[in-house]
Amino acid sequence: MDFSFTEEQRMFRDSVYRYAKEQLAPLSEEADLKGEFNFEIWRKLGEMGLLGLPVPERYGGAGADLVTCCLAGEAVGHAGVDGGHILAWGAHTYLCAANILQHGTEEQKEKYLPTLATGEWIGCMGLTEPGCGSDAAALTTTAVRKEDRYVLNGSKTFITNAPLSEVFIIFATLDRAKKHKGITAFIVERGFPGISTGKPMHKMGCRASTTSEVFLEDCEVPAENCLGGEGNGWLIALGGVEWDRSTIVAPFLGGHTFMLENCARHANQRWAFNRPIREFQSIQNRIADMKVYIEAARLAVYRIAASKDSGVALNPLTAAVNKMYLGDRGFEMASEGVDIFGGYGYIHEYPVERILRDAKLAQLGGGTSDIMRMIVARFMMM
Amino acid sequence: MDYELSDAHRSLQAEMGRFCREEIAPGAALLDAATTEEAAALMKANLGKLARAGCLELALGDDPLAKCVAGEELARACPATFLTAMSSATAFGRAVRRFGTNGQRELYLPPLAAGERIGAFACTEAEAGSDLGGIAAAAEKREGCWVLNGEKDLVTNAPLADAFVVLAWTERSAGPEGGMTLFLVDRTAAGVRVGPAVETMGLRGAPTAALRLEDCVLGEDAVLGAAAGAGYNQVRLIAQEVDLALAAMSVGIGMACMEESTRRAKTRKAFGKPIGLFEGVGAKLAIMFTFTDLGRMMTWRAAWAEAQGEPDAAVLVSCAKLFTSEAATKIASLAMQVHGGHGYLKGTAAERLYRDARFAELAWGTSEMQRALIARDSLDRFRGA
Repeated sequence: MDFSFTEEQRMFRDSVYRYAKEQLAPLSEEADLKGEFNFEIWRKLGEMGLLGLPVPERYGGAGADLVTCCLAGEAVGHAGVDGGHILAWGAHTYLCAANILQHGTEEQKEKYLPTLATGEWIGCMGLTEPGCGSDAAALTTTAVRKEDRYVLNGSKTFITNAPLSEVFIIFATLDRAKKHKGITAFIVERGFPGISTGKPMHKMGCRASTTSEVFLEDCEVPAENCLGGEGNGWLIALGGVEWDRSTIVAPFLGGHTFMLENCARHANQRWAFNRPIREFQSIQNRIADMKVYIEAARLAVYRIAASKDSGVALNPLTAAVNKMYLGDRGFEMASEGVDIFGGYGYIHEYPVERILRDAKLAQLGGGTSDIMRMIVARFMMM
Repeated sequence: MDYELSDAHRSLQAEMGRFCREEIAPGAALLDAATTEEAAALMKANLGKLARAGCLELALGDDPLAKCVAGEELARACPATFLTAMSSATAFGRAVRRFGTNGQRELYLPPLAAGERIGAFACTEAEAGSDLGGIAAAAEKREGCWVLNGEKDLVTNAPLADAFVVLAWTERSAGPEGGMTLFLVDRTAAGVRVGPAVETMGLRGAPTAALRLEDCVLGEDAVLGAAAGAGYNQVRLIAQEVDLALAAMSVGIGMACMEESTRRAKTRKAFGKPIGLFEGVGAKLAIMFTFTDLGRMMTWRAAWAEAQGEPDAAVLVSCAKLFTSEAATKIASLAMQVHGGHGYLKGTAAERLYRDARFAELAWGTSEMQRALIARDSLDRFRGA
């Protein structure tokens, strides 16, 4: 048992933190307020090598291990960067690029990974549909093989990065009668005939990321763009959400550390009844609960990353525990953060209201907390 | 980074799990229900078994992670036995081991490790618990001896104990940090009176009583570590070890609740299917798993920090104790809900664990004190701009 990070990992984390604090955080407040994606932030994430973090160097990435990926996410969240840009990064790197890396053919990797790793092309993944989210196996987008191509029809929704994406991983079924065994993944380029995206949606939190529908109308995909083979889409989707439940939530841990620091500063500086509010136990209790949450969440996140790095197959139980705890308790803690700031917590000038709005997503995206409990319960009842 | 137990700790966990399941768990319900004398005999027998299995020696030792791993298994089998063994070996024993003179260690520790003698830690009084400086017990120096007077309350193990560590004022003007001293007091010493065992809500096999000291005359060799005035800091350091042990106990209780509930959820049927397949019950099982699992990681993390001598160890122990003790109460409540009316009956494991779980939140460092300590740490780090 060893809970320490290597010297290299710590140095990398520190440099990402400093970089994000100096270069990214100053831009993200306005982006969040306007609900606008900031390409300068994106370019800078790319320059730091973060957009291709787990992609091997031969495909233009950094070849980082999972613990390092989580550390980078935590550091950027800790620096105070808004959840929107972090979400865009997560969807791009872990749902699009990492899926191609894990399941793609050599040709697919060579074709797509280098441009994704630099951020020149933005990527996304389309699984959810207007009629199905958690119950992803019920998807209705169809794919029909016609000679040297597939023809896709259907629509996807809540697709992070879709409005800006060049590369889409789209899940469709070859045969609905086969249920999840008919589901297949495809790499679709924006230039392919028949794919279009809707208008960016206005979201509660993570506002600077772009989210929209994806429409597939007789969309023609070359046969060689089938990802991971026919009928293997379900397993790819499951593998993908496991990223959701570990690496992609690591920035929330950093965001809450940022919140704790802000709350602690405020509690030291704000006075009421002739004393700093830190002297009130109700304030102390909230600070203490945040700290406990951060310590527990940190263990949950890095346990998954360390186990993946050591080559152990991901335990769906620990992944579900992680996602549920970070999501549910994280939202409660963000609300307590707003409480510490009082009226100031309710206005945009202070970062806690943004953290509360952003935190809600961790309970919903990549499998809701309800689904996480169902997964754990199912294992226990086996 | 490696979140897995070492092979040595893993085999300790397996060994301890088997031993506790076979040797300790069968007596848990009886210990809870027995009259004082029966319970005392049973508890002494359990301590003998633990001693023969090397557990008390382990508890006296210097491997915090091993103690947590073993402690979880013992508490999972019988929380009351854990509390008595811990109060003797950790609270009393570790105090002697860490702070005692060589003579004190040689006198007290071998019979304690052998399960032949039992120790207790007497700090709390009727009017002072978390606020150590509020105690009234005091020792006066008279003709080369210490004369100790006072009344200690809620002393776990007092009815069974052969020796006590007692906190008393020795120089009020010096304040708590410098004016308090820990004394080693034998039960047989003149002026020592143990009150009748009090009825506790849970952990009933671990008997508790008041301890009265009336002109108890002690030699200079009764001062723990020959360090008069060091008592307050010694208590603080031992409390950190006990808080970590109570975290391990809470994890063990959570595991027991989860196992009882899972068994029940699989076998009890309603509306044509096992109740665990209903989402409402399944979600309870999932929450029990989540908090037990994360609580165990926090406990191990804190133990590892202690072993490494990390500067954050004290805060991490507080986080672990706070998290696990509150989780245990919640988990035990969920376990009772999964058992329905049958969990509300005297004599069921769910009912016993529900009472047992409640202890850790209020024992030693209370949840309120832990929160104050954790908050101060975070607040002090961000005093400036």
